Amino acid sequence: MRGFTRRDFFGGCAGAGCAFAIGGSLGGLALFPSRLARAGETPRPHPARFWKKLPNKRVQCQLCPKQCLVEDRERGFCGVRENRGGEYFTLVWGQPCAVHVDPIEKKPLFHFLPGSRAYSLATAGCNLECKCCQNWDISQSRPEEVDWQWMPPEEVARRARAEGACVTFTYSEPIVFLEYCIDTAVAAHKLGVRTTMVTGGSGEAEPMKEACKVLDAVKIDLKGFTEDYYRKLCKGKLAPVLKTIETVHESGVWLELVHLCIPGANDSEPEVRDMCRWVKSHLGAEVPLHFTRFSPQYQMKNVPPTPFETLIRCREIALGEGLHYVYTGNVPGIEGEHTYCPRCHKVVVARHGFHVESVDLKNGHCAFCGQSIPGIWS
Amino acid sequence: MGSLAAVATGCSSSCGSTRLAGNSASGTPASAIAPNGPAQPSKPRVVVVRAKQALTHGYDADRGALRAMLGAGLAALAGTGDGVAGLRRYFRSGQTVGLKVNGLAGRNAATHVELVDELSALLRQMDIGGHQQVVFDRFASDLTASGFALNERGDAYRCTGNDALGYEEEPTVMPSTASRLARVLTERADAVLNLPVLKQHMLSGMSGALKNQFGCIHNPNKMHLDKCDPYIAEVNALPAIRQKQRLIVMDALRPVVDNGPSYQPNMAEVANALLFAVDPVAVDVVGLELLEELRRKHSLPSLAKVDLTPTHIQTSARMGLGVGDRGAIDVISIEV
Repeated sequence: MRGFTRRDFFGGCAGAGCAFAIGGSLGGLALFPSRLARAGETPRPHPARFWKKLPNKRVQCQLCPKQCLVEDRERGFCGVRENRGGEYFTLVWGQPCAVHVDPIEKKPLFHFLPGSRAYSLATAGCNLECKCCQNWDISQSRPEEVDWQWMPPEEVARRARAEGACVTFTYSEPIVFLEYCIDTAVAAHKLGVRTTMVTGGSGEAEPMKEACKVLDAVKIDLKGFTEDYYRKLCKGKLAPVLKTIETVHESGVWLELVHLCIPGANDSEPEVRDMCRWVKSHLGAEVPLHFTRFSPQYQMKNVPPTPFETLIRCREIALGEGLHYVYTGNVPGIEGEHTYCPRCHKVVVARHGFHVESVDLKNGHCAFCGQSIPGIWS
Repeated sequence: MGSLAAVATGCSSSCGSTRLAGNSASGTPASAIAPNGPAQPSKPRVVVVRAKQALTHGYDADRGALRAMLGAGLAALAGTGDGVAGLRRYFRSGQTVGLKVNGLAGRNAATHVELVDELSALLRQMDIGGHQQVVFDRFASDLTASGFALNERGDAYRCTGNDALGYEEEPTVMPSTASRLARVLTERADAVLNLPVLKQHMLSGMSGALKNQFGCIHNPNKMHLDKCDPYIAEVNALPAIRQKQRLIVMDALRPVVDNGPSYQPNMAEVANALLFAVDPVAVDVVGLELLEELRRKHSLPSLAKVDLTPTHIQTSARMGLGVGDRGAIDVISIEV
């Protein structure tokens, strides 16, 4: 028997929103500590969607832009979808490895039911490999390497309703367990439970459109604004992420964006300005944009945390470019965590960290001047 | 550049050998340093041993032929009188030796069990007992599908998947990526005997000694981008792999020449060859030559023509992991 390890200690509460650094940490309650979970158990295959057959028992995954060509008995880049004799299976459907109840502000979703709770879950696997990933020990693992619990969609929906929470797919990369997300969202809606997703956005358009039919809100990490950044630091591409952002926005699902500011990597003024201009021109001024603080993780332990000044400067750039709802994250107690009315400039949602201190909205309008504030407020 | 066929031409006599010396040595891998004898020559040596009757029924290998091949190959590689003496140049009594096989594609395209059995017997003859030999690959299921019997007793040798012992807690960070290393490698094995299978690989171009080390990490799926380059080289540069790898015996008895690494019945070509080396780059250079030769027999285009040049080999050479210049490799060809 192996010894008690750091992994055992963190166990089921491993993970923490690859999307952002501190704010994504799993500080909540692990609903199934690793001791009770099924460490090392063989995952259960479930038929995958979004793929096509090729000759010689090969398949091509069409879930994400990697478009992995997968040999028989092999898996794609994400490590959770496997070719078995020319048929493709997901190995994480119904098998979350982290489940927590978080404040919705932790996602962060600031314009979606402030002060509410999110029944948050993740499976193993990711279709990126971000050098700064905070949840690498689940996102960069295969299903066999994590503790997981059998939890079919209906069970997730029941538990979320019992918690009075929405369901949030988060921590690792929900796109790689999209079949589970979609089926769970359908089950949740049947019980009147809303569903949200926290994603890196590296997905193909058709699967994302399918998902948007059953999601209520999506937060997408816009990790950088150059192809070079995505290639070198994430093993991904920027263009598909931008396409996903547009797809989600056009679908009408509530959308918020997060940019994790990494010193020297993606925090230059030109890059941030270009990104803000793209957001304004392609999505409009009302999509919330969060600049969050990086803390050293995984392959980037040699990079210092983001200075507060950088976050403040990024926010000023975004506001200067005409975006209405710009936030700073992972730094409690500064003005960038409140929601301001763009007309009267008064605070309409006051926050401290993940705690909502006050909400001055009436039917989605500023309580002081009547300005409409976009979001899902009730 | 001399072709492998040309080298083999002069080797018709039993156990006769022909040496084709290269022009210059451009480096010696760390693994070439023998623990129990003189260092390898400055020119890395690759010994190619063929036996016409090495395979009996398509897949199954003839143990007698394998014994002869191992004896001749190890002796020629180490410059010793016999195979056991050859092994003593690379391993010490009392060491635990990890035998890294390739079991990915099932019995028809895996490292031959018979080959492992015969090598294991030689190791036991040099007082490395069965309990000190660990045959391993990524998954226990792959090993059993390849004909190996999982066991921890070690009567002949132990056999275990990485999934049984697991991986290190913390990732080892490389320039382009990060991985958790298999505990078999880091905690059990003092030295590694690499037993790759020569195969065409649809992602990396070729699977050989260098690519086989992907079986020591938890996330090879993250390294299939860009023809696995530079990931294969970076994994091989990890001290735990580079410093422990002592010897390579490449199974080229029946390489998969196209549509690999899966087994393809019509693309498995009998070559009846084993390649011996301590330099993982050099043996892949020679293995690639053999693979291209077999592809030509199948009227297949060169890997370069289908944009599948295994660039990881020369990347590994540039990183100092071995010699990539074919002219600088001392190739000895033997027929038994």
